[in-house]
Amino acid sequence: MIELAAALLAWLGAALVALADARRGLALGLALVTIGFAVLAWATGQPVGAIALTLGGMTGAFQCWTAGPAKWGLMPPGSTARLVLCIAAGLLSLWISASVTTTRGAPLLFAVLVVLGLMAARVLTGRDAAVDRAAIACFALALGSSPALASSIPTGPVPYIIGALIAAAVIVAPATLLQGAARSGKDGG
Amino acid sequence: MAAELLLAAAATLSLAVVLAPPMVRRASLLTRGLVGLAGMGAIAIAPSLDLILLILLVLAVLQAGLVSHRDFAARVRAPVLAIALVALGLAFERIEGPAVLLRFGAVGIVAGLVAAIGLLPYLHEFDPEESTIASPIPWIAFVGPLLAVSVLARAKQVLPADAGDAFGSMLIGLGLLNVLWGTVAAWRTENDAAAWRYSFLSDWGLVLCGFGLAIADGQGAALLLLLSIVLGRLPLYLWSRQALRDKAPTDRPINLLVAAALAGSAPFAGFAARVMLLRGATQIYWPLAVVLAAAMLLWLPASLRLGRSMGVPRGRQAIGVAIVLAVSVFLGLYPQPLLALAG
Repeated sequence: MIELAAALLAWLGAALVALADARRGLALGLALVTIGFAVLAWATGQPVGAIALTLGGMTGAFQCWTAGPAKWGLMPPGSTARLVLCIAAGLLSLWISASVTTTRGAPLLFAVLVVLGLMAARVLTGRDAAVDRAAIACFALALGSSPALASSIPTGPVPYIIGALIAAAVIVAPATLLQGAARSGKDGG
Repeated sequence: MAAELLLAAAATLSLAVVLAPPMVRRASLLTRGLVGLAGMGAIAIAPSLDLILLILLVLAVLQAGLVSHRDFAARVRAPVLAIALVALGLAFERIEGPAVLLRFGAVGIVAGLVAAIGLLPYLHEFDPEESTIASPIPWIAFVGPLLAVSVLARAKQVLPADAGDAFGSMLIGLGLLNVLWGTVAAWRTENDAAAWRYSFLSDWGLVLCGFGLAIADGQGAALLLLLSIVLGRLPLYLWSRQALRDKAPTDRPINLLVAAALAGSAPFAGFAARVMLLRGATQIYWPLAVVLAAAMLLWLPASLRLGRSMGVPRGRQAIGVAIVLAVSVFLGLYPQPLLALAG
């Protein structure tokens, strides 16, 4: 029951990131996705992974909350398509994980599918670097949690830790990492 | 294979830094190249496809963070799409369910690999005026070869045995699409820098066909072609950038030699690879060899165009071009030790 609630929380967080255009909405979405995956990691017997995800995701969410104008930016005009996408992605992932497959980790599968799908769609349609960074942070958390889907292969905490590091670093790092001339002819071509 | 490609990438970076034109900032080029090499090293030793995807995400964010004409959002799209496709494919391969899900999984892995490299039908946005490092060229010519080898090796561990034929067929289909499209586009496009980009596409098409054949000749041809991309086409593209900006095509003997190397003529590395590929295709399904041979012949006009666009290399660039041609001749004449090393 707790796993199911965690998976739904991850969906809600991903939907918030997909629907928000300002920092408070993005930060809340990232925090919810973090809690969802941390609970799922704990439930699959990965306490170190759960702690790593919490630290990484919450660091990113805190930085997201404190940087930029203090707005929620939830569902601005023209976001109906995004709302439909959130619902459709949730229903499709729910159908695959609960009905099509017979696998045990259905909540984790649901969370991974819906977060990967929604965040990839957000990055593909996004034009703002801050929004894309929040989406990539959620994407990294899902990616770090996905090895647990392989029931036959023992997964250590390494993917969780790397996913958490990416989630924190992508938000905390400055907008342009390597300043300098990147124009044609100055950097090797 | 991964170790050979990593060494080849390191050699190309050394050549690019040491023999760079005077106006290039060597320290900056070396720093960014070493970051890329570190990522490639991590990909080569990563024990699972999940870790490869995470490392790829790090490289994508780092590259998108570089200052460029295109913004972060535009540059990070293609790699994120690629990672999402492979990750979803991998998830489908891991769950217990109907066979159709496993097939979707295989499609996702192949589509994601093609998207990561920047091949059709997922071409990365290309701006001819953009710096090489911030452009899609590192994905298709520097990181891409090692990434493809690593992803395909790990994918074989997760794909069920009966999905091998479908997996190979998809690689061959996408390979043919890229060979034909890249060849015609490199010949017909107006911009010379774009023609170089399409030439990478055409070589990659042959590589995908080689991997798809799944026999020793095909794998060997793919390795030789990947090495000729990293050690040949990429440095030649870097040294042609000044002439591309000057728009000064020339018809000297050196341009013909470069055109011959790019076209895969004897005795350059591409020739041995093409012969092996045709031999492998004949063993599997001879009409495929006919199509491949036709595409290889079509490649001649585009190669002549690219050779002319090099201009006349002088100073360090002339030394670099001579080294690249010599290495290509060596690989073309003695490919066996390398192929044996790669297993």
